[in-house]
Amino acid sequence: MLKGKQSWVFSQRPAIIATGVTGGPFEANGNLADDFDLLHEDLWMGEDSYEKAHRVLMEGASRTALRKAEMEKKDVQFFLGGDLINQITPTSLSARSLEIPYFGLFGACSTSMEGLALGSFMINYGGANAVITGAASHNAAVEKQFRYPTEYGGQKPPTAQWTVTGAGAALLVQNNGGNDPVTTAATIGKVVDMGVTDPFNMGGAMAPAAADTIYNHFQDMQIEPSYYDLIVTGDLGKIGRVTALELLKNKGLIIPDEQFQDCGILIYKEDQPVQSGGSGAGCSASVLYGHLLNRMKRGELKKILMVATGALLSPLTVQQNESIPCIAHAVAIEMP
Amino acid sequence: MPKYLLLLISLFLITGCSKHDSNEAPLSLIKATNPTPSLIHSESRSTDEDMLQSIEKDIEKQKELYDAAIVKNDDTVLIAYKVRHLQRFHMKKIEKDVKGKLEDKYPDVKFIVSSDFKIFLEVVELHEQMKNPNFSAKKAEKKFEKIVKLKKELT
Amino acid sequence: MCAKPKKTPDQEQYDQLEKKYETKRPVLKNCLRAFWVGGLFCIVGQAISYFYIYFFNFTEQTASNPTVATMIFIAMLLTGFGVYDRLGQFAGAGSAVPVTGFGNAVISAAIEHRTEGFVLGVGSNMFKLAGSVLLFGVFSAFVVALIKTILIYMGVI
Repeated sequence: MLKGKQSWVFSQRPAIIATGVTGGPFEANGNLADDFDLLHEDLWMGEDSYEKAHRVLMEGASRTALRKAEMEKKDVQFFLGGDLINQITPTSLSARSLEIPYFGLFGACSTSMEGLALGSFMINYGGANAVITGAASHNAAVEKQFRYPTEYGGQKPPTAQWTVTGAGAALLVQNNGGNDPVTTAATIGKVVDMGVTDPFNMGGAMAPAAADTIYNHFQDMQIEPSYYDLIVTGDLGKIGRVTALELLKNKGLIIPDEQFQDCGILIYKEDQPVQSGGSGAGCSASVLYGHLLNRMKRGELKKILMVATGALLSPLTVQQNESIPCIAHAVAIEMP
Repeated sequence: MPKYLLLLISLFLITGCSKHDSNEAPLSLIKATNPTPSLIHSESRSTDEDMLQSIEKDIEKQKELYDAAIVKNDDTVLIAYKVRHLQRFHMKKIEKDVKGKLEDKYPDVKFIVSSDFKIFLEVVELHEQMKNPNFSAKKAEKKFEKIVKLKKELT
Repeated sequence: MCAKPKKTPDQEQYDQLEKKYETKRPVLKNCLRAFWVGGLFCIVGQAISYFYIYFFNFTEQTASNPTVATMIFIAMLLTGFGVYDRLGQFAGAGSAVPVTGFGNAVISAAIEHRTEGFVLGVGSNMFKLAGSVLLFGVFSAFVVALIKTILIYMGVI
């Protein structure tokens, strides 16, 4: 049901009954290694190209979610997913082997919440009984496309972020009264462009989009930030997080520092060489579907607002001096 | 990273310390050798030896240079010298300068002047070898020609 | 080339706000690191150069060619072992400016695109970073030579 300007309320409360999270070697050394279902030892993952390894990540996450829910792929009506590679081929190729009717999504790093919002919407209105939604990114494959070759010895500025090698997939079903986390609302963001042109400063570019979506979510839902135990952004990194906090403060929305977290900061240890933090479509997906949902199931968190941020740039637009358009989608997840 | 580098450097050091038979020449990289000028083939030894000594004095007067190895064969004098570190920017000018001065002073002698370390090294080695009485003048001449050829070789 | 878009007042305002939190590049620290690491590279290069002078028939002038080749070979090994990119993050210009940085740019691109085949992958992408260095290097050499020729012709030099 539409509420306010740009938010949906899911009165049927679709349930996330199972999730699958896969990661790479760098994530295995990170902060949240225990929350991954499957960690690959090397970036190749037994394939002969990074793009194929990227597909393995996505496929692994989806299959893990199915296995945990003890469901067959024929029980699932739709698969909604995406990644950052040209024409989102890794996700499309995993949809080929999953053999589930498929929506390919692109929202850059916000794909995870775009998929969760759309999936919840389908389930809520009986468009499906079960859907899988997910997003993935692979460090080497993404860096190759957006930046320099992996082994190139260029110096990254401290504002740069490290693309997460990982995928997260969630299996959403009609609420059956179980004790699983449910999605209750979603706010779809608009594209915000504050004129940042530096592709090595994604956090700074995406912060206004995140702030805009968060602000509109609270306006539409007519609730206070204290309603949530935690507001988590996707991949703003250290710089984007503080900038977004200040933007929200200027709009009159005071959120305490410890209540406002970022997946890109959570996922890695302080001493890992990731500059400003993690990024990529797999960042928000793997942290939410792994770490955060585990914490909710343990009862540490009751209600969270997940805001995945995406920078909708391509190497071409950067070279043509186009500024970076950004977007953010928010989904509210609660324990029943 | 430091491991690889260390390995490389030590490799050079080890190989660098093993091969050479003469003992002065390899050290000339780090210290001044100032070898006495030598004469390979000459028609009148005494005048030529005097001439070499005066050439050595002339070279010593040049403030930019600090170590010179001189060898003479027939009418050709080969001079290899080292240039003081900060003067190395004017290497070409110095070479022209030294050569011009010497040619003015000894018009009937052909001078080959070089600041190249390789030439210096070879000349010092030649000096060393000539101290050995078994080392024939023919061999010395051959080596001399080799050095001259090396000097002419560019790039 | 496309012009940079003009910033609206809103964007200007945000720019100032964002700059406040943006971590600056540690310029001085980067310079020092570049100085030391770049110098270290040159010491290694000098050692290799002397190696060729001592053991082969190379003069100071002719030794530079095999020295450059050896340095690039070492850079190739370091790139392949995944060391050079970490070194680059630490040293910045110190590892990018010497000839090894050029080697690294070529080799990393070649490694990156080998999954796309030898002709269309390695062949056409190998110089995607270094190609502009070659182009503008050759072009500027041409311009300088042209100016010198004209000056000599006019009798200035």
